[in-house]
Amino acid sequence: MSINDISMQQLINSNRTMDRQELFTNLYKRAFPTVAGYISRRGGKLDEAKDVFQDALIAYYEQVILTDSPLNNDIGYLVGTAKNLWLKRYGQSNQHLSLDNVDIALPTQESPSSSRLFRFLEIAGHKCLEMLKSFYYDQMSLQEIADEYGYSGPRSATVQKFKCLEKIRASVKQKSLVYDDFME
Amino acid sequence: MTTSWNETQQIEAYIFGTAQPDEILLFEAKLLLDEELTNKVITQKKAYDAIRQFGRKQLKLEIEALQQTLFTHPKHRSFSQKIIRLFRKS
Repeated sequence: MSINDISMQQLINSNRTMDRQELFTNLYKRAFPTVAGYISRRGGKLDEAKDVFQDALIAYYEQVILTDSPLNNDIGYLVGTAKNLWLKRYGQSNQHLSLDNVDIALPTQESPSSSRLFRFLEIAGHKCLEMLKSFYYDQMSLQEIADEYGYSGPRSATVQKFKCLEKIRASVKQKSLVYDDFME
Repeated sequence: MTTSWNETQQIEAYIFGTAQPDEILLFEAKLLLDEELTNKVITQKKAYDAIRQFGRKQLKLEIEALQQTLFTHPKHRSFSQKIIRLFRKS
């Protein structure tokens, strides 16, 4: 078991921000130099490397956390994803567009409507949104949610979670009445 | 009123595909008859979408902060210099 596997396990067990930072720092230091070298040799810029590596980390996080399946080769995944992203975004003159078979579940560009919706949601219920994010995005357990947000236990956290979801759902409904007219 | 979040839970199970086959049948029958329920399913899907976008945005902020630290903090000096050298025009 490598250092990385251990911190990955910690992350899966606890999902705490600190562990995540530790893991990401570790991954950054191990994978970024390869990505940066690749991009600089092709005449790219440091900012471009940083940009694609950020998204590669997000894709990695979603791949591992959402599917709950540690990868065989974390560094290979990150490097491959970042290279592909860079080729797509910045390397238009490149002939060998051999996009590897990397499954990129990628941060798509947000549409104007969704970013507007988003601002609205944040105002409507930031605390709810935080809690729902912890559950649905970071995949924290109900017990962890209860501890983190001060509910008496998993049962109470479940009720709160659904109440918050209903609030967000109502915001979505209300908002869609307003902007759907001119979006399509 | 006590059943409100039960329904939301049922919608969730339906959307995530975790409902039992007989529950799915029953739920789909309800959907045919209840337009409001259908709308709830649609908006609940959008809500999950918004939550995911929010999650990504927060994660991106975390990564940006980390990147900032890696390239400015003295503790990571040898790392940042190594990277910056790669982009120096000779």
